[in-house]
Amino acid sequence: MVNRSPDEVLRAAEAVHESSNEIAFLECLLNDLHINGVESEAFAETLFLAGQAPTIPSPLEQFSILPLIPMNIGHLYFSFTNPSLFMLLTLGLVLLLVHFVTKNGGGNSVPNAWQSLVELIYDFVPNPVNEQIGGLSGNVKQKFSPRISVTFTFSFFRNPQGMIPYSFTVTSHFLITLGLSFSIFIGITLVGFQRNGLHFLSFSLPAGVPLPLAPFLVLLELIPHCFRALSSGIRLFANMMAGHSSVKILSGFAWTMLCMNDLFYFIGDLGPLFIVLALTGPELGVAISQAHVSTISICIYLNDATNLHQ
Amino acid sequence: MLEGAKSIGAGAATIALAGAAIGIGNVFSSLIHSVARNPSLAKQLFGYAILGFALTEAIALFALMMAFLILSVFQ
Repeated sequence: MVNRSPDEVLRAAEAVHESSNEIAFLECLLNDLHINGVESEAFAETLFLAGQAPTIPSPLEQFSILPLIPMNIGHLYFSFTNPSLFMLLTLGLVLLLVHFVTKNGGGNSVPNAWQSLVELIYDFVPNPVNEQIGGLSGNVKQKFSPRISVTFTFSFFRNPQGMIPYSFTVTSHFLITLGLSFSIFIGITLVGFQRNGLHFLSFSLPAGVPLPLAPFLVLLELIPHCFRALSSGIRLFANMMAGHSSVKILSGFAWTMLCMNDLFYFIGDLGPLFIVLALTGPELGVAISQAHVSTISICIYLNDATNLHQ
Repeated sequence: MLEGAKSIGAGAATIALAGAAIGIGNVFSSLIHSVARNPSLAKQLFGYAILGFALTEAIALFALMMAFLILSVFQ
C-alpha cells in the first residue's frame, strides 16, 4: 500500500478483521500473512477494502511456489513446498501403477490397457540406448539404461501433470530442469573422461583439420559443448511454461466471454472455449514429445562422450 | 507508460515465431518428399519428423516465453 497515510492503513486493517475479537480468526489471519506474505488473501482483501484496485492476476501466478510446511534452518530454506508435494505424489502414483500391473507374478500374457502402457514405457528405453551407445548384446553398455529410464519416466509423468486443474507442473520451473540437465551433463563429462582418459579432448578436433586452424576449432567447439548443459533444461522449461501460460491466457478470455450475458456475445462464446479445448490436446502431445526429445538428446550426448566420433 | 512499453516489447518478441513456422513447414515438407521417394520407410521417417518438429517448436516457445516474461514480470 504505497502512498497512503498511516491513518488509512490502520482503517483498512481494522476493516479486514471487522473489530472481531476471536483469537482463532486473528491467528488465522496472522498465519496467512506470515506464510504467504504479499500473496496472501488477507493482504489482497486489505488492498481491496482500502479502495486500491486489485492487481491484475498475471498468467505467471500459477507457477508460484508456496511453502506448505515451512522449515528454516537459520538462513537456509528447507521448507516442504508444493513442488515437493507434487513430485512425491507422482512418484507414488507411478510406483503404484507398476505394482498393480505386475502383481501375481508379472501380469497377464494378454495385456490389458495399463499393462500395455507400462510395457511401452519399459520398452522405449533400450532402443535409444542401443542405437546411440551401441552393443545390443553386451551387458557392458547397458549400464546407462536405468539412468535414462528414470529421466524419461520423470518427464513423461510430470509434464502432463499441469493439465489437471489446480495442480502444479514441476518441470515448468527452470531451477528443476536446469538441475536435472546440468547434473546429467556433469555426469556425461565424467563418464567421458573415465572411459577415454585425456583422449576425450580429441572429441573437439575433427579429423583432417590443418594444424594452424586447430586451436580456434577447439575453442569454438568447447562453447556448444558447454551449452548442452543449459539447452536441455531450457528446452523443457520453455515448452512447459509457455504452453501452460498460453492455455491460462486463453481460458481467461473464454471465461470473460462466458460471463458477459449479452446476445451478441453468446455467438462468440464458443470461440475461445473451443480454442481452449483444441489447445489442451496438443498441450498433452507436447508434454509427452518433450520427454521423448530430452531423453533422446541425452542419449546423443552420451554417444558423443563414449564413442568419440565413431 | 510502462504498460505501453511492455505491450510493445511483447508484440515485438512474437515476431520471432515467423521463423519457427517456416522451420516447421520445412521439416514436414522434407517428410513428404522422402515418403514419396521411399514409402516403405514411412513409419520411421514419421518418427524422425516428430522429433524434428519438437526441437523446432522448442525455439518457437523460447520466443513466446520471452514475450510472456516481458509482459508479466516487470512492475
